Amino acid sequence: MSRLLLNLRVIVALGRRSVRQTFRRPQLFAPILVFPTLLLAIQTGGAGSAVDLEGFPEVNGFLDFMLAGAMVQSCLLAGNSGGIALAVDLEMGFTDRLFAAPISRFAIVAGRLVGTAAFGAVTAVWFLAIGLIFGATIEGGVPGTILMIALVALSATAFGGIGAAVALYTGRASVVQGLFPLVFVVLFLSDAFFPANLMLEPAATIAEYNPLSLIVDGLRELVIGGLDAAAVAEAIGAIALIGAISIGLSALALRRRLRLGA
Amino acid sequence: MTGRVEAAGRRFGARTDLATIRALVRRARNEIFRVPGAAIPGVLAPTIFFLGLTAVFGGLTQLPGFTAEEYQSFIIPISLLQGAGFTGAATGVNLARDIEQGWFDRLLVSPAPRPVLLAGLVLSASLRSLIPATFLLIVGFAIGVSWPGIGGLLLAYFFVMGMGTLAACWGSAIALRFKTQGAAPLMQAGMFVLILTTTAYAPIELLQGWLADIARINPVTQIVEAIRQGFTTGTVTWAETWPGLVALVGLLIALGGLALWRMERTAE
Amino acid sequence: MPAIEVTGLKREFEGEIRAVDGVDLEVADGEIYAFLGPNGAGKTTTVRMLTTLLRPTGGTARVAGHDVVDEAAEVRRSIGVALQEAALDPLMTGRELIALQATLHGLIGQEADRRGAELLRRVGLAQAADRRVGTYSGGMRRRLDLASALVHEPQVLFLDEPTTGLDPVSRKAIWEEVAALNREGTTVFLTTQYLEEADQLADRVGIIASGRIVAEGTPAALKAEVGKPHLEIGLVDGSAAQAERICEAFGRRLPEKDGKLLVELDGGASEVAKVVRALDEAGIAVASLDLVEPTLDDVFVTKTGEHLEGAEEEQTPDASSAPPPGASGSAAGSEPELV
Repeated sequence: MSRLLLNLRVIVALGRRSVRQTFRRPQLFAPILVFPTLLLAIQTGGAGSAVDLEGFPEVNGFLDFMLAGAMVQSCLLAGNSGGIALAVDLEMGFTDRLFAAPISRFAIVAGRLVGTAAFGAVTAVWFLAIGLIFGATIEGGVPGTILMIALVALSATAFGGIGAAVALYTGRASVVQGLFPLVFVVLFLSDAFFPANLMLEPAATIAEYNPLSLIVDGLRELVIGGLDAAAVAEAIGAIALIGAISIGLSALALRRRLRLGA
Repeated sequence: MTGRVEAAGRRFGARTDLATIRALVRRARNEIFRVPGAAIPGVLAPTIFFLGLTAVFGGLTQLPGFTAEEYQSFIIPISLLQGAGFTGAATGVNLARDIEQGWFDRLLVSPAPRPVLLAGLVLSASLRSLIPATFLLIVGFAIGVSWPGIGGLLLAYFFVMGMGTLAACWGSAIALRFKTQGAAPLMQAGMFVLILTTTAYAPIELLQGWLADIARINPVTQIVEAIRQGFTTGTVTWAETWPGLVALVGLLIALGGLALWRMERTAE
Repeated sequence: MPAIEVTGLKREFEGEIRAVDGVDLEVADGEIYAFLGPNGAGKTTTVRMLTTLLRPTGGTARVAGHDVVDEAAEVRRSIGVALQEAALDPLMTGRELIALQATLHGLIGQEADRRGAELLRRVGLAQAADRRVGTYSGGMRRRLDLASALVHEPQVLFLDEPTTGLDPVSRKAIWEEVAALNREGTTVFLTTQYLEEADQLADRVGIIASGRIVAEGTPAALKAEVGKPHLEIGLVDGSAAQAERICEAFGRRLPEKDGKLLVELDGGASEVAKVVRALDEAGIAVASLDLVEPTLDDVFVTKTGEHLEGAEEEQTPDASSAPPPGASGSAAGSEPELV
């Protein structure tokens, strides 16, 4: 039991460090929060007339529609950022210090993921506040809001696993940083920014099958529709699928790193 | 032409200034040709965004009052300018790195005038911005962007170089002020905001709320429209072009002046 | 006209940090002047002001006859600078870097090419000239840095800690080059935290601490101010009393250390041979003999109460066995630099 407690304490401590790091370095912080916020503001103003298109979901405003996409975008970027930070730790030799300590190896990665999850929750709160200030209505109410924060935190963890896996496998921050454009590719091929039925082909078809769309839809439904168990369940399923794959990959990459001493 | 000053038998003047600018542009080229893969993100990113935005927001053309039939023709000016913006911001980041690592001091202790050093940095960005622009145009034409005519194409390249220059001036000013690569987000955000708070996603009549107001007064909107005319109508007219030129010149004076002012204060 | 004239030079940073707090100095044309002090003493800040990279907040400075503030452009035309970090672009080749430096200093075309080739040969980088700087060793980078500071034949050469981080062989190579430049007429202003560097190279040394000069003069004069050299003599048992009587003729006896006899030499280091002869004639067997001279660190301690950082590590246990300047060969444990 004491070993478990020790590892939990380590995970929390590393998670705290991870969050502090992100807030202290503008080049990590800005892409996760500032740019998505700017983009949200601009896209709401720029494409807001889209609510008049036939086939567009019933919404109070385009902002209500966009909030979920902005949150998911932030999560993906937070996951990428966490991977970059982990790679920097590997390059600097900081992780060697941790590997030499009497703690669970995976606790080191888990600590990073906990930090990413915490940041995910922060972004959820941030965008919810932005939404409410600028006139959005959260149809899911308080329970919906809490559920959104939880789903976003879990999503961030799942996405963080991808960044961590790449970091552990390559050990190079520049490689993880190179994933940045891919984040947008995945986002564009989902319904994060626009309803899939109104997108152009082949993006529209890809978006229908993209698990990211299920996550976005689950969050979006809480804003524009209310508490929808089916949508939320599908979102949780997609998060679980992505999380299982990504965390599994990061565990494998960690084992490989420890075995090779790379 | 008489040189400005003679020192140890050497003349300093236009010839040496041009040689300095050429040498700095040549050095900047190394980032592209000598670092494998370094250029790829900067070249690919604008095209990825172009394809993504077209795929996502392409349906907006169905709105009454939309001024283009194909969204890709409507949005390509934004992606062209974004590519130039990324390139200019990268110039700022490189300058910040050079400052952090002490390389820039080497240039500052030389007799080369500060404006000449700035010109060397900025011109390299202006030229480099043609690379992502060309790649983007090739992809754009492949997916159905309308041919803008030779005039429209040249105008587009002209404004791309202009935007690259602007972005490099902005990035350099930030780099000289903060002296750290940590200021990179500020360099990128500046161009991001300038380019997207325009008629980026839709014509002015379809923009909503605060964005419509900002787009009306944002000088970059004129640059966007000047480039866009060729791609959406197939022709360029002086009436649609001169506001963009005036905007570009005005912004060059403002941002170029800011960068120059920062260069002169490096010893503070 | 002095090459460098500084009066009351000050530099204050935000938070009232006085990095340089009223420095006065004068460097004659053709002199090698060393600025010696620990990290944070104000050496680099002073150099940056003299090379126009930093604006003084008080006082005046003239380099090669030009004011560093009002005539900065003229100063830059007259100086060569190799700063603390050999800031070189790793993507450029040595030849390209020299060519760029030449262009920055108004040398173009054939004249620039000729000068570049000559300098690369001079600093032993001709064969590596077309390799990227990123592949160069630390010593090679320093030599390239030095070469690039010389491309325009400056009147005054500023070297900010030119041999920090280099192995002894590379350090010696740099010293030899600096001495050669000075023989050709270049005034050299160098900053260093290495006692030996200041001692061996400089005509005059300024010791700086907390932004102020605490002592200035030739190395010999500065050391003479704080004391005379002394001998530490290890004797074979039974002869201590006799040895003491003999040595008293040469100078004051100092407190014993580690069982050794210590005697100050009134006549300086040149008395060592006489002491040895006297002991030998008296039949006294000597187990060990060390000549210990006052160092610039002793000067620093006298003036500030503290040691120069690293000075204790720099002083070898057997100071008299340190290799004389100009001797070739590597110190034990170091690898020779590849040219």
